[in-house]
Amino acid sequence: MADRRVAITGLGVVTPAGIGLEDTWQTILDGRKCVAEIDLFKPGHFPCKIAGQLRDFSAREFVPKNYRKAVKVMARDIEIAVAAADLAFLDSGIVTIGTGDEPTIESKRLGCNIGAGLICTELNELGTAINTAVTDGKFDYEKWGQAGMTNLTPLWLLKYLPNMLSCHVTIINGAEGPSNCITCGDVSAHLSAGESSLYIKRGIADVVVAGAAESKLNPMGLLRQGMLGRLCTTRNDSPAEAVRPFDAEHAGSAIGEGGGLFLLEDMDRAKKRGGKIYAELAGFGAACDPAGIDIEKPTAGNLALAVKNAIKSAGITPDDVDLIFAYGTGVPAEDIAEAAEWRKVFGDAASTIPAVSTTGVTGTMFAGGGGVQIALAAKALHEQTVPPTTNFSTPAEGCNMNFAKEPRKAELKYIVVGAYTVGGQSGACVLKRGEA
Amino acid sequence: MSERRVVITGMGTINPLGHDVETTWSAMLAGELAPSPIELFDASTFPTHFAAQVKGFDMSKHLSPAAAEKHKHAGRHCQFALAAAVQAWQQSGLGGWEKLDNGRLGVYLGSGEGSIDFDKFVGLLIDAWVDGQVDTDKWPELAFERMELYREIEQESNMVVAHLAAEFGACGPAYNVLTACAASTQAMGEAAMQVRHGLADTVITGGAHSMIHPFGLTGFNRLTALSTRNDDCATASRPFDMTRDGFVIGEGASILIMEDYEHAKARGANILAEVVGYGASADAFRITDQDPEGDGAATSMRAALADAGISPEDIDYISAHGTGTKQNDQVETRAVKAVFGQDTKVPMSSVKSMVGHLIAAAGATELITCILALRDQILPPTANNHELDPDCDLDYVSNEARKASVKTCMSNSFGFGGQNNTLIIKPCE
Repeated sequence: MADRRVAITGLGVVTPAGIGLEDTWQTILDGRKCVAEIDLFKPGHFPCKIAGQLRDFSAREFVPKNYRKAVKVMARDIEIAVAAADLAFLDSGIVTIGTGDEPTIESKRLGCNIGAGLICTELNELGTAINTAVTDGKFDYEKWGQAGMTNLTPLWLLKYLPNMLSCHVTIINGAEGPSNCITCGDVSAHLSAGESSLYIKRGIADVVVAGAAESKLNPMGLLRQGMLGRLCTTRNDSPAEAVRPFDAEHAGSAIGEGGGLFLLEDMDRAKKRGGKIYAELAGFGAACDPAGIDIEKPTAGNLALAVKNAIKSAGITPDDVDLIFAYGTGVPAEDIAEAAEWRKVFGDAASTIPAVSTTGVTGTMFAGGGGVQIALAAKALHEQTVPPTTNFSTPAEGCNMNFAKEPRKAELKYIVVGAYTVGGQSGACVLKRGEA
Repeated sequence: MSERRVVITGMGTINPLGHDVETTWSAMLAGELAPSPIELFDASTFPTHFAAQVKGFDMSKHLSPAAAEKHKHAGRHCQFALAAAVQAWQQSGLGGWEKLDNGRLGVYLGSGEGSIDFDKFVGLLIDAWVDGQVDTDKWPELAFERMELYREIEQESNMVVAHLAAEFGACGPAYNVLTACAASTQAMGEAAMQVRHGLADTVITGGAHSMIHPFGLTGFNRLTALSTRNDDCATASRPFDMTRDGFVIGEGASILIMEDYEHAKARGANILAEVVGYGASADAFRITDQDPEGDGAATSMRAALADAGISPEDIDYISAHGTGTKQNDQVETRAVKAVFGQDTKVPMSSVKSMVGHLIAAAGATELITCILALRDQILPPTANNHELDPDCDLDYVSNEARKASVKTCMSNSFGFGGQNNTLIIKPCE
């Protein structure tokens, strides 16, 4: 097999920090904090009333006219993915049937591998139907079967299948190549990056839409993350200060909604067409921790092994890494576990190599968070800039890493990006500065 | 990139026809039919009252008390996965092998989401329903009091991966994918790529799913995808038959061990088959319909053939996706003819006619039948195949298992939304 190299040539991000790469990037550089009181619905008696919400987001703007009707069967997670894909294509200069009249990529050579989480049904939609099938205050199966269920739209199920992120994107953009949907929590995007790059190296696709999107900003998300004890419940009055990755005052995370998609492209093809090369996806690794089954005891999913594998597959050593793009949920036990994993890879240098986490601005975006992390790493290489770690001031115990308060220019050749998820899986990518 | 050969060294299954591989296979060869009235909840007024259910499943027959304790929070499909994985692991002989490198042992599953805690969940929607919407004062108060942590988090589909990693001490790459009905075929294909390209030496792969719960049945009934043959449910799954009226929802898990050939050989493992080809594609057509020409499905098959470096004539048997929906079976037939020729004689059967549609777990269950077809030189039948649809004019191995010379098998899975996957296996030479 010919050794094809893989370039990142288009970035599409939809985050609380901005709709689109430039807005998000600038917000992150400025350290503008986007976690705020929830107004998507009334946070009522939820212990955590804050989140990173998307602002001024309408998926319809990112969907071709002839497909707009389909938006009504898209859960929020799907809307984010569809928009991010559109932004990524526009950014790349690669034209698909969804973004222009004359596609510049052959459908069968365009792959799509978008990670997703457990999509939550809209409770008000479902509740309206459920409450037609109640007898004496209890759910009535007979009534539900006879008539209750007909209050749900026939396509109800399709709104919530995780592969629909990929499916809508394939339909809109005519992507007929290999397609997958990885559902591995916060590391879905890292795993997607690795797998998608293999499509290109194996020669079965020339361009792949990779990454992930998710929104857990709904009552079930607040409930589940709250039950896990992962959400900050002590800063409802100062939401902007709430999420403090690796900081001594870290006290939990906030749910962010968002997604990050990136176009992976055969390097030669990208160069030939004069595409903008943000970075090369130079290395990938994945791992897991068998202890992840115990969801009440956070682990960082054996992240060190994933990172070591990624570094090895990039053909470099830890000494070559110029920036650690950490995950940093701001959940104390998770931050400590994560920092320990970075230390396993870099030893004492983990305290001196520049590092960054951007969750202080956006909150934790779950599957989408990994996608955004990778997209921002590519952008950081392209801009030769280390973004700041907002809400970090004094390292928490064991979290002595070199986070910067202000953005700064730096010579960056290799960035390693890593994350882990509840359940114990981890993933890491090594991004290399793109050649001009 | 270096390429390594990928072999299968273990398999296990829990499904509506059996709680192990051999029982399942005997049932299929005898043409046994799994569908029966739903016992898991009261579905008597749903458009569909029946399903292919796993019955009499007993975790203690598959897991030691200590293991059962470790996995006490596992949900229904996760329990199936654990039991199937234990069978596969035992067959592979990896358990007693001292040189196993856990960092090179991965898990790559196509598992479905865990089912919702239905009674409690709808109870909340009823009790916290005020003025036509969820009251967010009342709902969280009740929810934090009533809902159970593990029951909620185990719904994330990567949790099955976590359980298998915990059971076998896997520390290598760990994935879950959920491309609807194609999920476990996709998982096995990508697992094979992990081994082929050296990301792992051994991967525990396959899938698990149960959607036999009120919302699963509701979702598919609203899509009118399910058979409603309530008066004759045993024969309701009728792939390629004129009288077919939808698929029969099933549940279960099938797990396989994939391994680098040299790795398997070095430890003297019994090799069951070699994975020689994998293809994937997307219809990119509509979320509700397959591409009527079957172009996406054909692309997937062609990709797998190209990957294997063989031609259609080399395929001796196709395990069909064969769901029994009007649309799938016609489109699938068209796609096979596009790849294999309009007058192809290649036999193709759908075991879904007997075991039902195990959704995410379907593909892995079907690949196991391909391995057994290679082993026993016999093709499982398509049951309930009495009156062929004129648009379905292939050899579907109707009703009776058949002796045949089988050297190479293809297995197809097509997901709702248009993701298609194909695997090709051969005996290991």
